[in-house]
Amino acid sequence: MAAWSAACLFIVLFTTNPAYKAAVLAAAIVTLAAGAGLSRIRRLLFAIALVAAFAALLNFVSAHLGATVLFSLPSSIPALGGPFTLEALVFGLTGGLTIAAAILAAAPFSLMLSAHDVVDALPRVLSRSGAAIAASLNLVPEVAATFVQVSEAQRMRGWRPRGPRSWAEVVVPVVLTSVEGSIQLAESMEARGFGSGPRTYVSRPRMHGSDWLVTAASIAAVALFAVSSAAGWAAPWFAYPTLIAPQVDGRPLIACLLLLAPVLVWRARR
Amino acid sequence: MARAALDRFTYWYPRASAPALRDVTFSIEGGLNVVAGPSGGGKSTLLRVFNGLVPHFHGGQMSGRAEVSGRSIVDTPTRRLARDVGFVFQDPELQTVYATVDREVAFGLENAAVPGAEIPARVEEALEEAGITQLAGRTMRTLSGGERQRVALASALAMRPQLVVLDEPTSQLDPEGAALVLAAARRIASQGRTVIVSEHRLYALMGAADQLVMVEDGRVSLTDPRAWSEPRFTPPPSRGAPAGNEVVCVSGAAAGFDGRPVLSEVELVVRGGEVVALMGPNGGGKTTLLRLVAGLLAPAKGRVERQPGRIAYLPQNPAALLHRPTVRYEVRFTIDRSGDSEKPDAILSELGLTQVADRYPRDLSSGERQRAAVAAVLAGTPTLVLLDEPTRGMDASAREALVRLIARLRDREAAVVIATHDAELRAAVADRVLMVAGGRVTAATNEAMRR
Repeated sequence: MAAWSAACLFIVLFTTNPAYKAAVLAAAIVTLAAGAGLSRIRRLLFAIALVAAFAALLNFVSAHLGATVLFSLPSSIPALGGPFTLEALVFGLTGGLTIAAAILAAAPFSLMLSAHDVVDALPRVLSRSGAAIAASLNLVPEVAATFVQVSEAQRMRGWRPRGPRSWAEVVVPVVLTSVEGSIQLAESMEARGFGSGPRTYVSRPRMHGSDWLVTAASIAAVALFAVSSAAGWAAPWFAYPTLIAPQVDGRPLIACLLLLAPVLVWRARR
Repeated sequence: MARAALDRFTYWYPRASAPALRDVTFSIEGGLNVVAGPSGGGKSTLLRVFNGLVPHFHGGQMSGRAEVSGRSIVDTPTRRLARDVGFVFQDPELQTVYATVDREVAFGLENAAVPGAEIPARVEEALEEAGITQLAGRTMRTLSGGERQRVALASALAMRPQLVVLDEPTSQLDPEGAALVLAAARRIASQGRTVIVSEHRLYALMGAADQLVMVEDGRVSLTDPRAWSEPRFTPPPSRGAPAGNEVVCVSGAAAGFDGRPVLSEVELVVRGGEVVALMGPNGGGKTTLLRLVAGLLAPAKGRVERQPGRIAYLPQNPAALLHRPTVRYEVRFTIDRSGDSEKPDAILSELGLTQVADRYPRDLSSGERQRAAVAAVLAGTPTLVLLDEPTRGMDASAREALVRLIARLRDREAAVVIATHDAELRAAVADRVLMVAGGRVTAATNEAMRR
């Protein structure tokens, strides 16, 4: 999945053409829906749509560039005054498209893989750091639970949140407890021989044929898109000064479609 | 050769004014060795000598000699001693590294560079020894405290150590979980390994113990476990007067959190001068009911009415509250906020904390910290007292002091609700016992209370 995420990010950040960005976004949504389920990504999609809409709106109201003026506000109005153009709106939408596709490209790490899976997949040379990270991840829910407990108990002792300084009554005990918790965890790891020399592994995540297929498809997508750009098939797109329709070529589009490889592999596995 | 031996061993923690262990000389041959003594006496420090965490991890100064399996603990780092000494800590939450049981048990073996192909069989063997083969493949966060603690035991056993050390392994567990962990400790000792266990629930171990090691004020003395008798506990006199006005009235209430229903159709009235104990399995809803009564959790349905007045609420991990420079400051903080006129020294003396009143609370032993937190929460004259597992990790004298304190608050017309697994505490102070299980609150049957 790391190769797939990297390929999505490469294409989305490399091209200025909204057609290819939209193709990557579509591939990412379909892949996440197939891997994590539509119900799990529904909220994420809604949040991303809001962020993208905000980015588009921000560009529309702040960039008074472009030839196609939709309407104007008096220039005496600070920040907002000036012409509002179709070009600024579409460029803003393209920016939103980029943000949405980039977030979704990284989403499998939180939606489809556990943090421990990612840590286990680290190279052997990072195994000690990986074990330490895995141990720290276990402390995160502990810290959250401590925060709830301390804030509730301090409320019952008469504490009320009144300004930043009052939060010391909660934050200080939570920090102290978390530090003590990490020291106890370190003590426990030391008592189990952590750091005594090179480590072995009971099991490492193994690459199956389907994993190699997704990796190969991702590499092919990057290579084909890079070649397409170099050869001029993936033409760049500019919103300013006058809006033009993006050119679409089959070859870079195929590169984007290769990002659907995980969906095909998972279907075949079922 | 003795499995472990200390000879005139004295140890000071860094910047400590007095030694935590004083001139300790004794040896451990084998079998089940029970370490007992009051909170803050040096039990945990002594146990940490056996795997070298004292002095290697904690620093400080020492004199004398300490050996485990013929190795000097001064010359052998803890991570090397880990192959001979398995160690299980108090808190099952704070000794978990990986997300699944198998990986967790394999962690020590990976550190010891046991070949990957051998590890699954060693994990299986350890799970069997700890009596938890049924947990193989489970995710750690789905386990109960008792199950987690037995996974910690299996993790220690996976290294095939000759010496297994358990530091109050049951202090965070419910009775069922505690019984399973102690049964596993007894079984391991009977299989020929040396087990050293520090514990407050001595009655569960003394029948099988080979040696009783008493630790008090840093000094160690050995006792024949057959000479041990359970300390007699005199419960305070009952109130002798009918309960007063309704302090809390819960009617038809439902509650839960994270979208998960926990309690439904709860009916509960607690009156001033009455002590109500809540019992039931972990996850049954005792803490949710206390939070509902305290007003920390809004009812999803029904009503919760409270008489005006201060609510004293002791959460499950009260030590997390402590952050003031001294124990006395912690108590004064509550008293000042509540507008009471009580002097902090009264409750400190009642809970046996006078000697440590001017110390930083987080420098105290876990048992002393628990008492400090109890003092900090219960100071003054609360109208409603809500206690969540108040005797966790307390020794016998601390529990007795707590019982007297609860009785005093009750006699001052406070309504007291205690969520507890502690049958002795219930028997000593409770006027009524309720069972909280399966989302319902019902009167506890005699059979349930005997369990």
